[in-house]
Amino acid sequence: MNQARVQISGFGFISPIGRLLSEFDQSINAQQSAIEIKDIHITGHQPFSVPLATCDFDEKSYVSPSKLPCDRATAMALYSLEQALNEAQLDLQSIEKDRIGVFWGSGMAGASSFDQTSNLIYSLHSRIRPTSVVTGMPNAPAAELALRTHAQGSCITYACACASSSIAIGEGIRAIRGGWLDVAIVGGSESMLTPGMLMAWNALRVMAPIRAGKIESVLPFSKDRSGFAMGEGAAAFILERENNTKKKKFFLSGYATNSDGQHMTNPQSATQIKVMQSCLRDAGLSTKDIGYINAHGTATLAGDAAEAKSISSVFQNAPVLVSSTKYLHGHLLGASGAVELIACINALDKRTLPSNSNLLLEDPEIQINLVNSDNREASDLNHIMSNSFAFGGTNASLIVSR
Amino acid sequence: MSSETYSKVIDLLKDKFHGSTEVTPQTAITDLGLDSLTLMEFVFAIEDAFNIRIPEEKLDPRQGTTTLEQVCNIIDEIKAQPKS
Repeated sequence: MNQARVQISGFGFISPIGRLLSEFDQSINAQQSAIEIKDIHITGHQPFSVPLATCDFDEKSYVSPSKLPCDRATAMALYSLEQALNEAQLDLQSIEKDRIGVFWGSGMAGASSFDQTSNLIYSLHSRIRPTSVVTGMPNAPAAELALRTHAQGSCITYACACASSSIAIGEGIRAIRGGWLDVAIVGGSESMLTPGMLMAWNALRVMAPIRAGKIESVLPFSKDRSGFAMGEGAAAFILERENNTKKKKFFLSGYATNSDGQHMTNPQSATQIKVMQSCLRDAGLSTKDIGYINAHGTATLAGDAAEAKSISSVFQNAPVLVSSTKYLHGHLLGASGAVELIACINALDKRTLPSNSNLLLEDPEIQINLVNSDNREASDLNHIMSNSFAFGGTNASLIVSR
Repeated sequence: MSSETYSKVIDLLKDKFHGSTEVTPQTAITDLGLDSLTLMEFVFAIEDAFNIRIPEEKLDPRQGTTTLEQVCNIIDEIKAQPKS
């Protein structure tokens, strides 16, 4: 099912490990993680500590297209779009407005604004801004992006937890392939590192615990892995049908999504296997064409074990190198697929794979070929698969190519 | 209307809300270059800047005919009231 190729005409991002490809690359090469311990104090509750990866970013200095105050994640979305538009050198004025669409992913867009609003109401007994709803609504980032680009073709928000931005990117691919749009603005944003949201995530016991002032292992696929660090950030991509505007070309050549339909949080290998196989079929590629998989790899015990089992099943006849970069930038939740696509583009560009941590402890249950500092060079790398497997059972795989 | 109040309102309009730069005291609040939502935020910001609360019956952002001068008079009037 080889379809028309969808070109990435531009991309932009902000992440805990930088907002330039050179910064991102430097962090990957030096294995320099942005994860730190943050102490959280909420009146009336025991203080607690969590591992976080934050961005150096001041959303308050940002004037949104609507001129309304921005949720932090919305400001990050706008920032990344601006970089993407710069790179794409696209004359938006010359394109019919109803041929431009926005497909945006976020697990809980507006969550931090709602948390702050709730704090004003219930705790500080203070008044709230008249446009609190508009700032905090889940489609606020997509709507601001549509205002910025005057997109009239579509403006759709995907809330599929940690697969949100991969789904948004994939649905943008389908819109371009189907000829419904000429330009798809795709990606995702997430920032919910406010005290109330962190307390809720902490209660779910999926973040790496802090013991004796130290973060337990956040290393994906490591035997001692104990969960992830929450991150924040955004990445935006401008998609078009293949044309001759770009010298250096990256394409999105495959996308598939499916659903576990079994459990809210337990991953299912059977459906993960199917989504990767469907993605390969969608791209018209076989397992041997894939030179690297950027895994969902959140460093949870169950998640990594299931994903490793799924990958080794799909790629049993063509072993593929696998890594997860979440130990560097944290888990960006709904934005993770989009920001990890940046890691994939960087790998394709430099033909060097992002390694797993040097501190990784071998786990006999993880039977896949892991990228380490000795096998990073990939001179014939042309296609990368990126996985996103979400709470709620939504699975997505993308293939990015050069 | 005190000139101090007027200039503070104008500064807020220009610096924080990027509204129209060509306004006079007689300009209606619907002609400030702000849409319906930002106009609500503008009134909210005025309250913060002057540390006052303007009752809705005195100034409803939906009442488009209100002028900047009237807004300033309302601010001055509320400021002059003894704090309860």
